[in-house]
Amino acid sequence: MTTTIEAPNRIQGRWKPRDVWCALAGVVSLALAVWAASTVAVPVSSDLGLAAVLPYPFWVGVLILNVAFIVALRGDAAGPARRPVMLWLVVVLVLVLFGTAAFVTDVPRGEVAFRHLGIADALSRTEGIDPDIDAYFNWPGFFALLATVLKATGLDPVTVALWAPVLNMGLWLAALSVLTGYLTRDPRRRWLVLWIFCLGNWQDQDYLSPQAFGFFLYLVVIALVLGPLAARTPKFLGFGRADLTAWWLGRSPAEHRPGHRVSALAVTLLLITVICASHQLTPFLVLITVTALTLSGRVWPSRLPLITAVVLALWLVFPASAYLAGNPPLAEGGLLAAIDANVVDRVSGTAGHVLVVQVRVLLTLVLWALATAGAVRDWRRGRLDIRVVLLAVTPLLLFPVQLYGGEMLIRVSLFALPFIALQACSVLLPADGSTRPSSRAAGGLVLTCLLLAGMTVTGRFGNAQYDVFTDNEITAVAAVKRLAPPGSMIISASTPTPWRSEAYLEHRYRTIDFMCKSDLSTATCGPLVYEDARDNPAGAVVLLTRSSEASLVLRGVSSEGSFDELEAWLSAQDGVELVFSNVDARVYRVTP
Amino acid sequence: MNAGISRPTAVLGLAAVALSLVTLLGLPTPLQAVAAIAVLILLPGQALARLTPVTDFALRALLVLALGLAALTAVSTAMFYLAVWSWQACVVTMGVITILACIARARQEAVS
Repeated sequence: MTTTIEAPNRIQGRWKPRDVWCALAGVVSLALAVWAASTVAVPVSSDLGLAAVLPYPFWVGVLILNVAFIVALRGDAAGPARRPVMLWLVVVLVLVLFGTAAFVTDVPRGEVAFRHLGIADALSRTEGIDPDIDAYFNWPGFFALLATVLKATGLDPVTVALWAPVLNMGLWLAALSVLTGYLTRDPRRRWLVLWIFCLGNWQDQDYLSPQAFGFFLYLVVIALVLGPLAARTPKFLGFGRADLTAWWLGRSPAEHRPGHRVSALAVTLLLITVICASHQLTPFLVLITVTALTLSGRVWPSRLPLITAVVLALWLVFPASAYLAGNPPLAEGGLLAAIDANVVDRVSGTAGHVLVVQVRVLLTLVLWALATAGAVRDWRRGRLDIRVVLLAVTPLLLFPVQLYGGEMLIRVSLFALPFIALQACSVLLPADGSTRPSSRAAGGLVLTCLLLAGMTVTGRFGNAQYDVFTDNEITAVAAVKRLAPPGSMIISASTPTPWRSEAYLEHRYRTIDFMCKSDLSTATCGPLVYEDARDNPAGAVVLLTRSSEASLVLRGVSSEGSFDELEAWLSAQDGVELVFSNVDARVYRVTP
Repeated sequence: MNAGISRPTAVLGLAAVALSLVTLLGLPTPLQAVAAIAVLILLPGQALARLTPVTDFALRALLVLALGLAALTAVSTAMFYLAVWSWQACVVTMGVITILACIARARQEAVS
């Protein structure tokens, strides 16, 4: 009898040839992608970004990886391939999609990660918090964490920023894998959710940032709410008052051990408090999603939304009061204004840049269409999970409330993405979870994944012409740090500029497109910048980099010729002196 | 009483003491990073997660990371607001939190 039981276990413990081939395919695709990315020359010359300059072996690697994943996912009648194989393929995907830029260059992409390093550096120098400096110092949780980790570990801050996208994706996927365990028992669906989440993640919010940290904690909170804090609901009888009361009172905890629920609640409250201390937007998303889940009867501690609201209000009223006094949270909003700021204003610039923006919109629409089809399919079969629908839809409620610098659509689409991916799986996999996808369905899945991968690489790295910096630009920024006296103003053409990673509080930082608003013509903008620079008692340093100028041109704010004219005018003024230059940057000192 | 304390709890507490000391004394860069991450995030996260009766391995592993990061964020932020921050103070505080969580766990084990 014992022999009969152990024999299948030994067979299951062996690696099947398919598993070995899939794992090897992962190695090959990683090697191809890394090698191909390392051959890309910086600066990126195309306004389509990295997608246009990555050599074909990169795309061959992406193709092999997706085929290997679908073969492994299809597995056999017993289920998908072994867990280490599936995990390895997900790790490779994360490295290929989110580590690509790090294989191209040693410099972190974009400006904001540099700025965040500067805030952490400023905190560790001042050893205190002055909420009057700017918004970051009203939500300092993440920066306090970053300052402590960087100082205690001695790690190079730039290297940490370079690899932050891979690290953050790892954290998000860890939380998502636990979370989906409470929503589906189908292993194929659980692996495919992780895959689609990576392939649909064009939002580029995984850099070293409070929102990436907040999103990780948000996913953990949702996992706890759907797991140890979940409630079971009786059959819904109707919207009559008596029916609703009976339905509400008929709920029971999914976790029967009170100690387990209490500890889960304590952890949840700690995480919510840390989220409130770390990021402006995330606590509102926690509040609305937890409220929606509670109202659907799926959360046992029914006062959790109230407690969340109190913690959030206390943070806004006390530590964040300095910022809110000058920036009322609901001062700007409305659906039309939100559409203008989040969509219309972004679809402008060169033809390539517009195409990239359109690809991002299309990718989002494709995923939402798949999710809608999946929801309809589930509903027809009586299997629609209201929790998934609520988690996918409720973030959208924040869209018209605040413009959030034109980034609200990006943020809400990220928060909805895990659940959109889960709902999309309902249409991408056979309805019966235990059924192996047919060869035809697997072929369709490969094509879908390839389409999503191509669109994500295009959308995610579409700004590479201006958000991938050269070593010359970093050298110029270092020269500015050396040349700018304390109290001086540092002026760049535009964002992104890889500055402010040090001396965050020692200078005033301005960009020419911010100073001149919409008119960058020499006649209007030149005198404005020059006078502002000369009026500053400690003078100014003007830094003009290739990337910041490319940003202006790509976004359609200025043309190459007109910006050259502005620079020529500025350099001819009294008290303006060229103090540093290389192929990608010029630095001018303006004496007061 | 000692018989009621499990070996993992004792090892966790002792590791927190030892790693806090070596982190404060300083190590070569890669080792310093490993020791600091362990003493600041992983050990407190593990000690706090062991106070919860979570049995699911995946959820437990996730809680180790989330609790470690959240506790360090809370401690660091509070120290900045109180103007008493230094990374050494954070290391000591996280070490103390780990040891206190181990003591609480030891009491749970002694009772059960």
